[in-house]
Amino acid sequence: MSLSAPEPVAVVTGAASGIGAACVGRLARSGWRTAGIDLRPSATDMSAELDVTDREAVRKAVEAVVARFGRVDLLVTAAGYYEEGIPVTDITREQWDRMLAVILGGTSNAFAAVLPHMLRQDSGAIVAISSELALGGSATDLHYVAAKGAVLGLVKSLALEMAHTGIRVNAVAPGPTDTPLLAADSLWRRPDYLASLPLGRLVTPREIAHTVHYLATSAMYCGEVLSPNAGAVI
Amino acid sequence: MSTTDGREIALVTGAAQGVGQATALRLAADGFAVAVNDVVDDGRLTALAERIGGLAVPADISAAHSGPDTVRIVGQELGDIDVLVANAAAMAMGPFLEQPQELWWRQVDVNLSGHFRLIQAVVPAMRRAGGGRIVIIASGWGIIGHPNASAYSASKAGLIALTKGLGRELGPSGILTNAIAPSYIDTEQLQVDADDAGISLDEMRQQYRDLIPIRRLASVEDIAGAVAFLASRDAGAFVGQVLQPAGGVTRTRA
Repeated sequence: MSLSAPEPVAVVTGAASGIGAACVGRLARSGWRTAGIDLRPSATDMSAELDVTDREAVRKAVEAVVARFGRVDLLVTAAGYYEEGIPVTDITREQWDRMLAVILGGTSNAFAAVLPHMLRQDSGAIVAISSELALGGSATDLHYVAAKGAVLGLVKSLALEMAHTGIRVNAVAPGPTDTPLLAADSLWRRPDYLASLPLGRLVTPREIAHTVHYLATSAMYCGEVLSPNAGAVI
Repeated sequence: MSTTDGREIALVTGAAQGVGQATALRLAADGFAVAVNDVVDDGRLTALAERIGGLAVPADISAAHSGPDTVRIVGQELGDIDVLVANAAAMAMGPFLEQPQELWWRQVDVNLSGHFRLIQAVVPAMRRAGGGRIVIIASGWGIIGHPNASAYSASKAGLIALTKGLGRELGPSGILTNAIAPSYIDTEQLQVDADDAGISLDEMRQQYRDLIPIRRLASVEDIAGAVAFLASRDAGAFVGQVLQPAGGVTRTRA
């Protein structure tokens, strides 16, 4: 570990808002250095504004983090967006391609950017944010769910490929979470939907951030999918 | 409650050694007043209770009245239980066709039915308190099965279904039930396994490591850490979930 940066270093995509921002806050409170990647500036030690679909830009951003802090110990991939209420026949080619590019492609780009550094260190943790919908399916947002499901396949396979190294790869599949991604009139905010959940409420971004921190600091998880979801999928 | 100074109260079963002991130590370090149970007190339980300033409540949880009795004693001595860690387990390996019925029932009685009664006994106070946490130690074998462990695997699978059912039934009361399904753990059991296999402890460890994708046995502290997480406020959105700190052995989600 570099003497100039004894604190562990985290790169968080989607760091400017919602779950990503909550992860930054949680990690910073525990003494981590944080670097954010987002379209917008993030409240991190080092903010890079870029689109995660740009593989080369993501790679350069992570290079800059390593150049400054000497290492990267954790990647959290929270960059994404949500579109709901679209029947499958109405999902346009552009909507499908964009969703896959951001959520699956963006996650993959960030993985590719940190792995060479983590392999050199013989250590590191990756926590991908998927969705409870990828476990249980959903009737109103097929392109989003397909992309989030693909992230789980990516995580499980990379976890096994990296298992013999010191790099641990896992996922969090949040239940409906109270972030700006959920519109005010979202189905998931409706009282009748919330009443159907065992805990009767939305998940908070802080609860997801706690789960990310727990995974990042626990040694025995490999390809695991933790789902703090208020009971949406049991 | 003067004895606990407002601390939350936890009961850990099977706490004389291994995961249960590590869990009691961890929860005590996290600020809980901890009651520790095991089938008999051969001195270890009392020593542990003294070390953590807790309470020893020896009892065979498979006996009909021991669940309610244990919960009553903890209630009198420490206060109402906020966190129950269902860890006690009986295990007897053997080929399916050669396993006598009494061994089947012993494993089901302790692992599943004993905790069923214990949970029945703790829930009323948790309801009155507006919530609580139940952390069930299941097993990776309860998810994927294992040769020569049919009764043990079935009892642990039963605990996973119990976790899910209670998650749904008790969740609306603020009582969060979740499970942990570990795989190979570096405990005293490894020496037993080594003796059975006629090899050294180090050879046994290596054999097990070779079965784990990350090539690392879980420590008892790893599992205690998972319990501590589920027992904490940080895990407030977990209900009916099964955590697998198993190094990638099971390759599936329970």
